[in-house]
Amino acid sequence: MGPIPRAAGRMLLVTAMISGVATTAWSHHAAAPVFDMNAEKIVTGVVKQVDWTNPHIWIWLEVQNASGQAETWGFEGMSPNFLARRGWTRTSLMPGMRITVTFRPLRDGKAGGMFMTGKLEDGKVLTSAGAE
Amino acid sequence: MKHVACIVLLLLAGAISMAAQAPTLKPPAAADWAALAKLPDLTGVWEAPTVGRGGRGPAAAPPPEPPLTPSYAAKKRELDARNFDDTEAANCLPTGMPAIMGHPYPYEFLLTPGKVTIVSEAYMQVRHVYTDGRTLPPDPDPTFNGTSVGRWDSDTLVVETIGFSPLTTIVRNTPHSDKMRIVERFHLTGPDTMSIETTVIDPEALLKPWTTTRTLARHRDWTIREYICEENNRNFLDAQGKAGVKLTAPVKPVK
Repeated sequence: MGPIPRAAGRMLLVTAMISGVATTAWSHHAAAPVFDMNAEKIVTGVVKQVDWTNPHIWIWLEVQNASGQAETWGFEGMSPNFLARRGWTRTSLMPGMRITVTFRPLRDGKAGGMFMTGKLEDGKVLTSAGAE
Repeated sequence: MKHVACIVLLLLAGAISMAAQAPTLKPPAAADWAALAKLPDLTGVWEAPTVGRGGRGPAAAPPPEPPLTPSYAAKKRELDARNFDDTEAANCLPTGMPAIMGHPYPYEFLLTPGKVTIVSEAYMQVRHVYTDGRTLPPDPDPTFNGTSVGRWDSDTLVVETIGFSPLTTIVRNTPHSDKMRIVERFHLTGPDTMSIETTVIDPEALLKPWTTTRTLARHRDWTIREYICEENNRNFLDAQGKAGVKLTAPVKPVK
């Protein structure tokens, strides 16, 4: 897409201030139509698979639901190109790692969203802006 | 032998007729390579340093809107009224010019005799800018990135581009006419900063030329990475303009 349209631009400003969402997502697709950019949710689970792929990385978690059943959740991250220049590697997240993910939920209510931050058990924090 | 001579003649005739259609790049001599060293050094990998940057940098103000003629303003209103969630870029269609130069991904500039090549990491696009003195063809086939020639105006690389696909837009929901012409001025503003002033000229779509400026920062320690948008694109825009995300089970790599 080209220069960001006005409404999306306003949204971008707001999200950048609130949460530090990087704008790379906008290069490929608009975030607001699919993710609720005003909501923030947290879920803890175990990494099943990481797709270190373009145009976005995808992090798949196994999460126990309220009735104790395992569900698969999917989170869209930035691109490997963006993240690899900011401290992430393709092994930053590996299957079996337990992680608490903060995310913008999918508007359709399905199990997933836009990855914001991930806190690992050793205290390491991965963000959409880079690894710390 | 006679047969071989015939083929050679045919090939020569073919080459000559090709030459009549398109300028040929002359083989570079040592002096041509040496001349490059005297030009401002635009080589290397560049990226826009601000726009969000994961919240580290200030968000850019929305860009000024192009001054549309009444008929194109009406076209834009019509497109806006469809309320599409997104553009075809969500389906991995490259954006084309001028949007290709606005991505939050890096660009590599390569200078060779008679040519500047701009590699855009996003969508793995390449722009070919001929600086060997040729003129723009009168009526090139429309393409996403257009047909470009460049010249050096003192220490500024001036690139002129015409011939754009109707699938590209000036900005979102803003079509251009087949008369659109884009002039870009690439200019070093510091050891590792470059300004790109882009002017869109379109007598049918725009009331007057529309100029925007973007600054890029050079990263000497970066390389351009692969970007295959179709590798794992879970985003989509459907025919009704509804955007969504495919949350199907992840595809396992072939082993």
